[in-house]
Amino acid sequence: MVFNSYTFVVFFILILILHNLPFSWRTKKINLLLASYVFYAAWNPPFILLLWLSTIVDFFVGRALYHQNNLAKRRMLLVLSLIGNLGMLCFFKYGTFLLDNFVTVVNALGVNFHPAKPNIILPAGISFYTFTTLCYTIDMYKKKSEPVKSMLDFSLFVTFFPHLVAGPIVRPPQLVPQFETEHKATQQQLLQGLFLMTLGLFMKVVLADSMLSATANSVFGSEGKLPALDAWMGVLAFSGQIFFDFAGYSTCAIGVAMTLGFILPQNFFYPYAAIGFSDFWRRWHITLSAWLRDYLYIPLGGNRNGKFRTYINLMITMLLGGLWHGANWTFVVWGGLHGFYLWVEKAIADYRKDKVAAIAVTPSGEVGVLGPLPETFKPKTFRNFSIALFTFFLINVTWVFFRADTFTKAWYLLKSMFGFMPKVDPMLTTLSVVKVSVIVTGMVIAHWLMRNTKVLDVIPKMSWWLFGIVWTVLLLLIILSQESSSSFIYFQF
Amino acid sequence: MPNSLLKKSAILVLVASTVFLLCWEYYWHSKGYVLGYDDHDALWYKYRHEVYEPADKTTVFIGSSRMKFDLDIPTWEKATGDKAVQLSIEGSNPRAALVNLGADEKFKGKLVVDITESLFFGTWEDNELASRLKYLKEATPSQKVSAQLGFALESQLLFLDKSLFSLNAMLSRLPWKDRPKVRGDVPWPTKFTTTNFKRQTLMTDEFVKDTTLQRRVTDIWTMFGALDKKHAPTGDTLQKVLTEVQTAVAKIKARGGKVIFTRTPSSGGYWDNEPTQNPRAEYYDKVLAVTNCSGIHFKDYADMKDFICPEWSHLSPAQSVQYTKALIGHLEEQHWFTPAK
Repeated sequence: MVFNSYTFVVFFILILILHNLPFSWRTKKINLLLASYVFYAAWNPPFILLLWLSTIVDFFVGRALYHQNNLAKRRMLLVLSLIGNLGMLCFFKYGTFLLDNFVTVVNALGVNFHPAKPNIILPAGISFYTFTTLCYTIDMYKKKSEPVKSMLDFSLFVTFFPHLVAGPIVRPPQLVPQFETEHKATQQQLLQGLFLMTLGLFMKVVLADSMLSATANSVFGSEGKLPALDAWMGVLAFSGQIFFDFAGYSTCAIGVAMTLGFILPQNFFYPYAAIGFSDFWRRWHITLSAWLRDYLYIPLGGNRNGKFRTYINLMITMLLGGLWHGANWTFVVWGGLHGFYLWVEKAIADYRKDKVAAIAVTPSGEVGVLGPLPETFKPKTFRNFSIALFTFFLINVTWVFFRADTFTKAWYLLKSMFGFMPKVDPMLTTLSVVKVSVIVTGMVIAHWLMRNTKVLDVIPKMSWWLFGIVWTVLLLLIILSQESSSSFIYFQF
Repeated sequence: MPNSLLKKSAILVLVASTVFLLCWEYYWHSKGYVLGYDDHDALWYKYRHEVYEPADKTTVFIGSSRMKFDLDIPTWEKATGDKAVQLSIEGSNPRAALVNLGADEKFKGKLVVDITESLFFGTWEDNELASRLKYLKEATPSQKVSAQLGFALESQLLFLDKSLFSLNAMLSRLPWKDRPKVRGDVPWPTKFTTTNFKRQTLMTDEFVKDTTLQRRVTDIWTMFGALDKKHAPTGDTLQKVLTEVQTAVAKIKARGGKVIFTRTPSSGGYWDNEPTQNPRAEYYDKVLAVTNCSGIHFKDYADMKDFICPEWSHLSPAQSVQYTKALIGHLEEQHWFTPAK
């Protein structure tokens, strides 16, 4: 079920009513769990079995890991959990990709091997809930937190429908304690949650789907040989589309949870106002960045084994982060480019003996977040704005590899963007160019102006009627755009 | 913001949105627009599932826009007692739909295939049908429920007609100056057609009366190349097309199904050129020959041959009633409604 559908509107109203009826807390949790299964099964009912399997295995393995003192047995249990979770992910998400690469390699070695193409359907959100359950068992192995006492709370932690299919990726300490005591939204939380849902749907339905997706699809659906203006408009359109699509989903998810009285972690913080790439990863898909830091970069050694190893660890993290997004080498290159940018940034920071660098070096006492913004990034100076614009420019280059399905297309598009394509006819209409220019410019300016402020902190500064008008306009534009039911881009990851 | 002020804002949202939407709905009604449906994947999907209903009570229609305008479903259903399942799609090539039904082992019914030569013999990829077939294969339970809720809302609210009143539709109607060599959105008159729940497309009363609007549409057909002296595929390409049609029809017949071809009326600039672009003997007649099926070509029948389409390509609602009655008569002559042995 997607948030931008009539089905969800009905589903949400029912859940909201049920959650506010005078049932016991346990009954309310069972309602939420069943609702979450319905939410997931509304895509493809059989895949709910995978979710159950993952939940049951990790609940019992997690508990055993925590209580087991024999190191060999604990390692075996951890391996069992890793095989279970990553094995499932590898089969469904990377099965075809791995087979294709294997065939390419053995064919190159002269072996005539041409197996039938497997027809594997990717279960929605598998990358997200796999990471959610994986962090639990790893935490249990490290005894970083107490095991979840009840199967009901653990199941709800894994399955809670607002975060289930596209994040934010939550950690047990962020959500499980909220299930232990009764939670019901205050009137303020309910209204703020409804506003966040409106804002999230506005980003997804109006800006991503209605205004930008057609242009991005046209340009990336073409061969890539385009005039520079068309190529840039297509890439900028995708840049806006992917932000509004994914940040819109996260904003909706946070809003939905808030209307039920739960708090989910923030996942985006105006990423296109980032000053450099470490700042970008502090603002883009924050819960994934934090996950990769805590469960990949730091276990690899982080920055504890000298500069050389730090650079290697950084690149490995970004390459695997790229691969997490999709089973295609283009995603790996996307991750690699980000790794390279982080290298350059870190090298400059090392040269200047600056303490701010790289995705994962900022120490954080909180779970699943990347810590406060460094002071040097806070002032809204012209210098910082120029660096932010340059960062945005480089990010757009990386999006070419993220969105193009082949390297040939990505290469043609890059050549087109930088004017190296022989004269070709334009393809985008005036209206498309206007839509992309206005929205992307507005987006970058809004990110810059809001870069240190949360949306909910702005509301109290407005008069009630002005806020009411803004909210009305967002709601009406959602209704008038009439773009319902299209899937969110990150569901495929 | 204090809680009480937040509550005031929420009440303002509720009141202002409701008032705006009521006014918006009233405004478009007052402008003479009538309720219609977004004829895309979900509505087509609904009828695609009806092809399996008993063959002695159902006829399935595939074609391009002409079949959607020219078949008057109430007239058909009243006169024959047969259910009409309309699967035609504007601007699309029905050959792919024929291949799809041929490959569907469960389909054993009666099928009318309308031929608009410039589309039927085309060899390009048909995105319109591809999108619907994708939905047919991949629609989730949630999408199906949303579609039902959407139909219920569309049956009550005019402003939910996406093709006319969505944000993008309204923006595209603004007078943008096109970039050189780029064709902008097609400037269809907003009061050209409406589509009902059974997927029948009807010209509006205003369009039927207004020759200026009709001229705007014939200008669009001209822009689309209606008057060009182009030809459909020949040689091996044509043979491939014929083989594809022959195979699909043979599969349906082998399962006990019945297939007949039609050629619905066109006139004016279209009919002046179509026989030259796609000579009947080389295209339409060859389809009948390779499939061993009958055909009902509008030029062969006195009660069909003189229709003047208001915009060269489609019949008005009143004409479609006459055409449908004539079609039923000629189908009866060919024992269409008698169960296959």
